[in-house]
Amino acid sequence: MQILTIILQIAILLVIVLLHVAYATYFERKIIGHMQVRMGPMLVGYHGLLQPIADGIKSFFKEDVIPAQADKPLFLFAPVICLVTMLTSLAVIPFAKGWVLADINIGLLFIFAMSSLASYGVILAGWASNSKYTFLGGLRSMAQVISYEIPLGLSLVGVMMLSGSLNLTTIVTSQGNSFSSMYLFPQIIGFFVFFIAMLAETNRVPFDLPEAETELVSGYITEYSGMRYALFFMAEYIGMMVMASIGTICFLGGWNGPFEIPFFPPFWFILKVYGFIFFFIWIRATLPRYRYDQLMELGWKLLIPLALLNILLTGLFKILVH
Amino acid sequence: MKVQYKPKRNLLETIFQVEILQGMALTLRKLFSPAITRQYPQEKPPMYPGFRGQHALVRDSVSKESKCVACMRCATVCPSRCIQIGYDEDETHKRVVNRYTIEVLRCVFCGYCVEVCPVGAITMTELFEYATYDRQTVFFDKEALLDNWDSFILKTGKDATYVNPLMRPRGVLESSLPSAKRLTVPDDWTIEGQYVGTKVKPSTMNLPSTTHAEAENG
Repeated sequence: MQILTIILQIAILLVIVLLHVAYATYFERKIIGHMQVRMGPMLVGYHGLLQPIADGIKSFFKEDVIPAQADKPLFLFAPVICLVTMLTSLAVIPFAKGWVLADINIGLLFIFAMSSLASYGVILAGWASNSKYTFLGGLRSMAQVISYEIPLGLSLVGVMMLSGSLNLTTIVTSQGNSFSSMYLFPQIIGFFVFFIAMLAETNRVPFDLPEAETELVSGYITEYSGMRYALFFMAEYIGMMVMASIGTICFLGGWNGPFEIPFFPPFWFILKVYGFIFFFIWIRATLPRYRYDQLMELGWKLLIPLALLNILLTGLFKILVH
Repeated sequence: MKVQYKPKRNLLETIFQVEILQGMALTLRKLFSPAITRQYPQEKPPMYPGFRGQHALVRDSVSKESKCVACMRCATVCPSRCIQIGYDEDETHKRVVNRYTIEVLRCVFCGYCVEVCPVGAITMTELFEYATYDRQTVFFDKEALLDNWDSFILKTGKDATYVNPLMRPRGVLESSLPSAKRLTVPDDWTIEGQYVGTKVKPSTMNLPSTTHAEAENG
């Protein structure tokens, strides 16, 4: 019986998240469109509202082309790795008090592990396609993930020190529910590092080197088509949502808001996550792509020292207060 | 040459990445500004005089036939050689057109045929949406070209006196034009009754009139 309820909960969560992913693409296209002084999708439904559904149906019925030279099992498996790891991270995210599938004590570590594992999907996709563009995309992704996993982890060490836990629910509750007690204020350096590392981790502009379409056609997904392409796409957007959720939980006080919303406790959480996603899109509409060496320089020479400094300051602060 | 270097950032500007913030402010401002694009199939672009659209042979209001006299000037001037004209001579040696075809797929829409025609027989209409899946539909013979004129009059609601300003060769004195070419064009395309071939900017309107007269005579 308990297993059945868990399966039901998982199914509900997956459906809701995938719908959100579908409409996140619409959100993105509309916002980027308006920022570029055009309309974005307008034809399918009122103001293009049914566009994500049309896209989904289209990619579902498209031919799934597998290149003759590709490493077939890996080629077929790579998008699944990407999507599954991203979906798995959703299990530990608390959407509201008690609204979490698996309230484990190593939540934050689990999410790090899963997001690093997702990059294996990218690398394997680049390798298995047996094409120079996908391979370069995979290589870049590997280097990028290695460089940015470190500042991402280090930037959250300050949060762990303040809350004294890796459990995401505990992190939220330890922030209290007032505006000034959000970890954003004591951890402003950590938030800065986290935000930049988050952009790099989700392969978003200005760090979208693995799929730099101006140089690498479409990077690691060049050889993919149809539903498998859509799987990578979904993985990218779920990755965005997971990272935005982590940002919300660790720095913006999770589901706490100015007042409680009856019957729908995750309201503030979702609002904050969408705020983050709007930021992602806003940055994409504004900034050009970093050059590869600049990306490495920023990661190793700026973010890691900043994150270490943040840990040092947080530790000193803790010692002085107690 | 004077090189304009970017002003150096100071430390505070570097820390807060002022240029990125400026860019972000710009995109946010543009988010709330109205779109400048046109929703094309629903919203048609405005047509300006001198538009070079689908070809047509003007249907004469008296004879209900083409005005073409088979002088062959359009076929001669055509840079892409897409106009083919065949004619017979009747007993008074008057030329009678029996074949007039335009292969639109080869046309470059320069409008020379319209400009050079001494009787204003061929024109370019304001219709432009006639893409098809076969070549026959865009290979216009004489009847198709006359039909183009009819459908243009019908679709746009223009009257049969429609004049594409292209029909008048620019910079030619009114008196030296053949009578059929002395057509009225919009007022803002003329300076002192002289057709100039482009829309006149207000600044050139105020120029002393002698410059234009000299240009015409010299």
